[in-house]
Amino acid sequence: MEVEYVLEHPVRLEIALQVQGFTVLLGESGVGKTSLLKALAGLLPARGRPFAGLRAEQRPVGYLPQHFALFPHLSALENVAFPLAHLPPARRRAKALEFLELMGIPSLAPRYPRQLSGGQQQRVALARALAREPQLLLLDEPTSALDVATREEVFSEVLASLRDLNIPTLAASHDPWLAQQADRVAVLSARGLIQQGSSTEVFAHPVDLGTARLVGFRNFLRGVVEGLEGENAWIACGGVRLRARRPGWARPGQPVVACVRSDEVIVVRPDRRPELPVQDNLLSGTLLSLKPEGLGLRGRFSGPLELDLLLPRHVQERLGLEVGRTIEVSLKPQYLHLVPG
Amino acid sequence: MLEPLLLTLRLALLTSLALLLLAGPLAWVLAKREFRGRGLLETLLLLPLVLPPTVLGFYLLLLLGKNGPLQQWFGLSLAFTFEGILIGSVVFNLPLALSNYREAFRTIDDDLLQTARTLGAGRWRVLREVVLPLAAPGLLSGTLLVFAHVLGEFGVVLMVGGSLPGETQVLSIYIYELTQALRLEEANRVALVLVGLAFGLLLAIRSLEARWKSNTSSSTPSASR
Repeated sequence: MEVEYVLEHPVRLEIALQVQGFTVLLGESGVGKTSLLKALAGLLPARGRPFAGLRAEQRPVGYLPQHFALFPHLSALENVAFPLAHLPPARRRAKALEFLELMGIPSLAPRYPRQLSGGQQQRVALARALAREPQLLLLDEPTSALDVATREEVFSEVLASLRDLNIPTLAASHDPWLAQQADRVAVLSARGLIQQGSSTEVFAHPVDLGTARLVGFRNFLRGVVEGLEGENAWIACGGVRLRARRPGWARPGQPVVACVRSDEVIVVRPDRRPELPVQDNLLSGTLLSLKPEGLGLRGRFSGPLELDLLLPRHVQERLGLEVGRTIEVSLKPQYLHLVPG
Repeated sequence: MLEPLLLTLRLALLTSLALLLLAGPLAWVLAKREFRGRGLLETLLLLPLVLPPTVLGFYLLLLLGKNGPLQQWFGLSLAFTFEGILIGSVVFNLPLALSNYREAFRTIDDDLLQTARTLGAGRWRVLREVVLPLAAPGLLSGTLLVFAHVLGEFGVVLMVGGSLPGETQVLSIYIYELTQALRLEEANRVALVLVGLAFGLLLAIRSLEARWKSNTSSSTPSASR
């Protein structure tokens, strides 16, 4: 589905994007993600297509705000029956129950929202939105109101049901994990839409620094293009010369930022050291800190460059990494992503 | 005692109903709409809260009394009548009703109202099926509070209505007159009735508010569950 919208208030926004399958609108808070969803739902004045000129109650969209907005005075079943007011009462209940079954939660029918967990509330809200038989689903920060510990598991199941239903879905989020699950990602900044494409493409090749941050890059090495040679670009960066893949736009002398994911900074095993090719940008330095993060470890490397690293436990155990140790890391050219500086 | 009691209850009932109809929509506008001059309007409407009842009563008397604008334009002289003290009582209790109703509406999450519209409900259905059920306990407790407050009204009623038995002599004024006449036993009986009524009403309001809180607090789920 093609979406073209122009908003004036509360943010100025002119946007043309494609919603395909599960599409994530990725952006920092305050760039207008929620406003765009509300405009699509008819809750904010805007020009554009589809649905232009229709009042909110006439638009075939399912809208889920961040906290799901279940009616607290109605049971789950009554909530789902709310959009089915055009049906006779018996038919209405039966239909509402069908939508709860569709989301796998028929047993929650008699419960009130305050008796439901965040994940359960989300499913009831989705069942209610689906009862409207929408042509487009709009989800505002669908993972933010979920319990952090179980959020990925809980939402993966919801996502699977959404995929089965095959309704185009636009989810506004700043959650890189969610964007990774998407069929399509559109990156929004205060300047407008910056990039859109498949999630693999956007994650591997963000077009600028802001997008690189949004998709989870943590190391940003500022430098200058020193030379271009075939497939390679040489980057002078804090006294070090890094070899990277040459992007089409690079010109000698141009300032660039080399972006590296923390988990793609590779700690070199001393016994493998001699086998490594020279172009792998080997750097020697000290491990400044090492802290557990989830099941891995986040470390700080200080050598010719400062780097943030994320290691799986087994690497730390095998290499016996400790704070204060001298280590060698490698920045493989294929993991060095260049954006204009 | 029966005559002033019935008069007082009638005044309280009519004042509460009038304010529900008048202050209800006004409170909705103040709670949910942004417009120029809202602060000014709110201040003006809350003014009777801080004015001495005698000041308010004085101006009402000028407005409603002989040769007042109401008589000149409509031929109505409402001073020293039941209708007169009803108007005084409505104006005097407007801030109380308004601030309670406004709170009742304010706690309704805008997300609920907007989502209801995306689910196909027009404004009228949103009002009937979302706003009113959610605000009902708050509206009811505000109305009871006004009712209780009118039971004890003195200054404004005395200024606008004086103390005519059967017409404007409410319980609190009756107690005052009994005390002046040193009929202390009767004064005590009447006062006890007022204490009992006030206690019962406050208890009802409290339980309503507890219900209301448990209802509205669930509109935003806690992420920790």
